[in-house]
Amino acid sequence: MNAVSIFTLILGLGLIAWLSARAKAMRLASASSEAGPAAHRRPLLHSLPGFHGWYAALWVVAPAMLFMAVWANVMPALVTDRVLHDPAAATLPLDPMSRGAILSEARNVAQGGAQVAFDPRANALVEPYRAAQRLYSLGGAIVALMLAFAGGAYAFTRVRPDFRARNKVERVVMGALLTASLIAIITTVGIVASLLWESLRFFSFVNPFDFLFGTKWSPQSAALGYGSDNAFGAVPLFWGTIFIGAIIAMVVAIPLGLMSAVYLTQYAKPRARAWLKPILEVLAGVPTVVYGYFAALTIAPNMRDFAVMLGIPNASSESALAAGLVMGVMIIPFVSSMADDSIASVPQAMRDGSLAMGATTSETIRQVLVPAALPGVVGGVLLAVSRAIGETMIVVMAAGLAANLTLNPFASVTTVTTQIVQLLTGDQEFDSPKTLAAFALGLVLFVVTLLLNIVALRVVKRYREAYE
Amino acid sequence: MTAPVPSPQPDRAPTDWKGAAMQKRIAARYSAERRFRTLGLTAIVMSAGFLAYLLISMLHDGLAGFTRTEIAMRIDFPTAPIVLDPASLRSANADAALASVNWQSLTDQAAQENLGKDSIWLAPSAWVAVRDAVKHDPSVLQKVATLNLPASAELDLAAKSDGSDEAEAAYARLDKTGLVHRAVNWSFLTASDGTDPTQVGIWGAFKGSLLTMTVTLLLSFPIGVLAALYLEEYAPRNRWTDMIEVSINNLAAVPSIIFGLLGLAVFLNTLHLPRSAALVGGLTLALMTMPVIVIAGRNAIKAVPPSIRDAALGIGASPVQVVFHHVLPLALPGIMTGTIIGMARALGETAPLLMIGMRAFIASPPGGITDPATVLPVQIFLWSDEVSKGFVEKTSAAIIVLLAFLLGMNSIAIYLRNKFERRW
Repeated sequence: MNAVSIFTLILGLGLIAWLSARAKAMRLASASSEAGPAAHRRPLLHSLPGFHGWYAALWVVAPAMLFMAVWANVMPALVTDRVLHDPAAATLPLDPMSRGAILSEARNVAQGGAQVAFDPRANALVEPYRAAQRLYSLGGAIVALMLAFAGGAYAFTRVRPDFRARNKVERVVMGALLTASLIAIITTVGIVASLLWESLRFFSFVNPFDFLFGTKWSPQSAALGYGSDNAFGAVPLFWGTIFIGAIIAMVVAIPLGLMSAVYLTQYAKPRARAWLKPILEVLAGVPTVVYGYFAALTIAPNMRDFAVMLGIPNASSESALAAGLVMGVMIIPFVSSMADDSIASVPQAMRDGSLAMGATTSETIRQVLVPAALPGVVGGVLLAVSRAIGETMIVVMAAGLAANLTLNPFASVTTVTTQIVQLLTGDQEFDSPKTLAAFALGLVLFVVTLLLNIVALRVVKRYREAYE
Repeated sequence: MTAPVPSPQPDRAPTDWKGAAMQKRIAARYSAERRFRTLGLTAIVMSAGFLAYLLISMLHDGLAGFTRTEIAMRIDFPTAPIVLDPASLRSANADAALASVNWQSLTDQAAQENLGKDSIWLAPSAWVAVRDAVKHDPSVLQKVATLNLPASAELDLAAKSDGSDEAEAAYARLDKTGLVHRAVNWSFLTASDGTDPTQVGIWGAFKGSLLTMTVTLLLSFPIGVLAALYLEEYAPRNRWTDMIEVSINNLAAVPSIIFGLLGLAVFLNTLHLPRSAALVGGLTLALMTMPVIVIAGRNAIKAVPPSIRDAALGIGASPVQVVFHHVLPLALPGIMTGTIIGMARALGETAPLLMIGMRAFIASPPGGITDPATVLPVQIFLWSDEVSKGFVEKTSAAIIVLLAFLLGMNSIAIYLRNKFERRW
């Protein structure tokens, strides 16, 4: 009997338990109401019949499922143990490595993953394996079904008018709600723990100081065995990330985003605004892989031709400028909507006061609204920067792999995210400093984006308090 | 309040608003106003123009990807050196019977007869089309049939006036004989990844996306909604709930590639789940989507007026009944809108899936959530890396499909918002 059929069987039993407990509760309820209000000897039902049904269903499903989950983890060890006690296993080598290899081959054949094993010793173990597996899965199924029946019977006997089924069921519901919200904490802890753990392993190969302040990045040479000294200096990566994400992209996004927000909030008629704002938001909804393709295929060759026309030396077709420009366009809606919000939350009295003094709309915007909204705008820009430096696909597709420390926007630079992708795809040898370096880079990225977000939210919050 | 009002300076003449200097100044201020306004309009037009440029260039490149060039080929099946009984094709082991035939040599021979030295312009995978035609209609085996076989990628490009001189010359030559024509490339929607641009399709990647999104939705929607309900309705104000809130807000801002690193370290290297599988992709994206759903859900729940809760409590509902019978149904349209937007984001996500190995070359659609799979954006990324020029239009065509889906999802979200949103 496989896991899926037991699963459905238990769910079916749960449904039966729900129906029968509910029916019993309904009968009790009608009996108590027939007795009439005059005769209060039989108490009214404490909980609605549905709650009795849920109580029974929970008792059927929960213990059996819990057991199944535990059993699925315990069973392989039990099966292996039984196989090892089989006479056919007496000839196995004692060395754990080769023994494990033979056992896993036999397991693979027994589970239908392969037709026949290469090793004859493994072939001899296939039958005992199948037998043990059948035995234990059947045993597990029987215990699970017994648990389901026992739970259902226990719950069914407790269906009485004064039984507080609702409170019990609601306690389970509250437990489920709390568990669901704890997943967020677990994920955060998981991210921090996995990044920290792998980074610590990386730093056992490479000095953190060399990593953070070294200026030579060539993990390939380290992987080829030229030693990992001075091959993992991440400064060119940090510079490339800042150059593309925080400088070029922002040079595009801040003026365009800010001016768009100003025009939309102060000048555009409501009808035009209703059309233009969604169009801007579409820019944020386009998948980054599309932007990356567009940058690599359309923008980058144009940029190179432009650079060649200007006579700029070592113009690359994987220029920082192409990636940065497209990333800037992607960021426009973020800057624009943050600026929109903060301009809209400047008190109307300030705007009216400025206009009443005879200032034109543009003077009001430049000298009253924007300065008043500045903290919100700055917060939005910081959020946009954190978004830009964590962006991956545009730079993977349009920026280069050469770790250059250069100010020339037409040259090729590489970024943290590009290198993470580069290090982790291709031949995987998980314990090498080369792959672990990706986690160290990820840790830096995580910490920096987190800090940017915290600072941005602080700035925005402090500013809001000033006007409310 | 009692500050002395400064008396107007007696020697100062009133401003001459009509004077030339003042008029000039006002004109300058007004033109600055116009300049500023134009600047704002320019910013919007530039942003929208970029979007238009992107979409038009994708459409321009991509629409050609939905068509292909076909060469009409006469194949004389009765005299061909194949031993295949049509009856066996209707029996259960038809696939085995089909596999026993050397379709490639059959096709090559027919191409030699039909095209002579131009047979090099037939797609290397044209034999697959011959085999499928026989499988579809075994009766062709008894007659001389004319099949439309795909032309090679070079000839296809030449047909779209983008090929090499040699191919364009060959196309002109073949065009004169009337053997070549353009047709809708249905196999682009039904085939999977391949090495030859004429035979690739998006169905495999699309199915992978569907499976991945199903896993993501099944995990992130219930967890996200339950977490939102807890935080908004029940959570006591203490350090724990503050921590939950902070971590949800931070998770929403964590770069997506970090989730990929988490998936790699936890799901693949610690839990040993199958690599490249839709299950792992779905799990990773679910962690990413959940905060979005929680935040949207909390806003929707917050928008339900307290009077509803008070009324339900007043007639004796328990707190759980209040939430599940009244608050949740009223907040559901808002939650759905947020969920669809979160799912649209997950559908377009590439970077975390590269981390967990979904970039492998997979030539058949996945059968289940534990089979190796790829997804639509990753397929786009893989094709964009191909050297062969024929992949350019396929990449753009796949992008069109992806954008169409995202547009559809966002339209549904907007429709839901407009139809069900209630202002209390």
